[in-house]
Amino acid sequence: MIYSGPRHPPTFVFVTTNTSDAVSLTSATKHFGPVRAVDGLTLTIPRGQTVALLGPNGAGKSTTIAMLLGLLPPDSGHAALFGLEPEQAVRQGMVGAMPQEGGLIPRVTVRELLTFVAGTYSAPLPLDQVLTLARIEDLRDRRVDRLSGGQAQRVRFAMAVCGDPDLIVLDEPTAALDVAARREFWESMRGLASRGKTILFSTHYLDEADEHTDRVIVLGHGRVIADGTSAEIKQATALTTVSVTAEGECSWLATLPGVRHMEVKGTRVHLRSGDSDATVMALARAGAVRDLEVVPADLEDAFVALTTDAAPATDKESV
Amino acid sequence: MLGYVRLELIRTMRDGGYVIFGIVMPVVMYLLFTNLGLAPGDRHDAAIYTMVSMAAYGALGSAFNNGTGIAEDRAAGWLRQLRLTPLAPAQVVAGKVLIGAVSVVPSIAAVLLSGVLVNHVTLAPQQWLAIVALLWAGTVPFSLLGLGNGYRLSGQTAAMANLATMLTLSIVGGLWVPVQNFPSWLKVIAEWTPSNNYAGLSWRIAFGDPPTIHQIVLLLGWMLVFAVYAVYGYRRAGRRA
Repeated sequence: MIYSGPRHPPTFVFVTTNTSDAVSLTSATKHFGPVRAVDGLTLTIPRGQTVALLGPNGAGKSTTIAMLLGLLPPDSGHAALFGLEPEQAVRQGMVGAMPQEGGLIPRVTVRELLTFVAGTYSAPLPLDQVLTLARIEDLRDRRVDRLSGGQAQRVRFAMAVCGDPDLIVLDEPTAALDVAARREFWESMRGLASRGKTILFSTHYLDEADEHTDRVIVLGHGRVIADGTSAEIKQATALTTVSVTAEGECSWLATLPGVRHMEVKGTRVHLRSGDSDATVMALARAGAVRDLEVVPADLEDAFVALTTDAAPATDKESV
Repeated sequence: MLGYVRLELIRTMRDGGYVIFGIVMPVVMYLLFTNLGLAPGDRHDAAIYTMVSMAAYGALGSAFNNGTGIAEDRAAGWLRQLRLTPLAPAQVVAGKVLIGAVSVVPSIAAVLLSGVLVNHVTLAPQQWLAIVALLWAGTVPFSLLGLGNGYRLSGQTAAMANLATMLTLSIVGGLWVPVQNFPSWLKVIAEWTPSNNYAGLSWRIAFGDPPTIHQIVLLLGWMLVFAVYAVYGYRRAGRRA
């Protein structure tokens, strides 16, 4: 950086919308009674990213999604999709969405339903391609009200993607599914991500955020509490565990670079490190590498660490 | 929007409630009433009078059924799904009104056809034209009332409310049993109902008289009331959907 000017705290909030961003929420707030479901949330998602909105129940994921789809007006702040008002972007066929539940009507076949939804978009995908993408080729002529939970979910997914929109928003797409159905669902998703679409999905399954995304945004009590790749989030919060076997006096190990915390179990020393490379190098220089084991943090640890220390956002203490 | 109308018509035709209350029951009741001598007057007059009554009854059934569909759609999250497609909200509402207007046609046609084919009803061509047009256009107030209930009430409640309203209007309006057979106090009430005045337009045409001003004004008045109710229901539903 050549010049770095003095930093002033912002006195005005400017609503800047960059048309290259698929999603942009600016200081969005939404109350339900005394509960602040979303609390001054600002986030932008550039085109082409696959992003997980991760958080426990009540973190504000569904409210955030409803606001950015234009289903729910924010109390304050602003939502934009591709630089347009959400309703406008939806009207122009740039968005496909799968709400948390519902959207399937009785007495129509899968083909009739998808043909209708696709027909509302100006340049939809051919039906056969949609069926293949959602892995529902064999369900084409089945009645929508006679599907299993996993099949229904794939049809709902097909409704979100059949118009070939640029942005696809999925609210807890796998919440009600068993393990096998979840795996099938993510196979459909992979086909979609490879088409260069912007995908935003919410989940409280950590492994899904870990495996299927470019970026994870962690929400807690209506605020962004972490934002980065799943690796970055793990690194920022949970620590890699470096374990070695040591005998005798070993308190010096706690002073090695990167080590934040030490735990001794018999002859086994577990070092929790923020910089495992530096810790291992230092161990090597000290000749202390014996039965070395390095275990990276999993996202579960990171998630728990992040979401447990945020305070609940209510206006009244009693609620 | 035509895609929406097509999809909803497919659903309507596969709806047992619609087929039974809107088409089968009116035809069966028509044939029973006229051939068991339950209708007043001579046989041919009774066949004409009851034909109009039952066509009106069937049309009411279909019009209210369309309104019930709205409540089901809302419960199923279908209205929200529609808001997430490029269809404009006004197109959805206009589509639903159009679907209501189309779905009453088979009800009216089925009874009128049974009149011609089974009971050998004969009327002048202009009488047929006027009856078909009035039976069809006159369903608008009932469609609005059904939609209002559909927007305002939840699925099961809306279905019950619409069925109860439809049956009450049919019976009190003199569609099942002619008003002439009512006790005088009920007759007074009947003459103020939208259903009695709706069928009344066509009864008069069928027997060679023009509709009365009273009938037209009353039906239009009810239409206005029900339109206000439907708009109120839609606004309330919009805030929640």
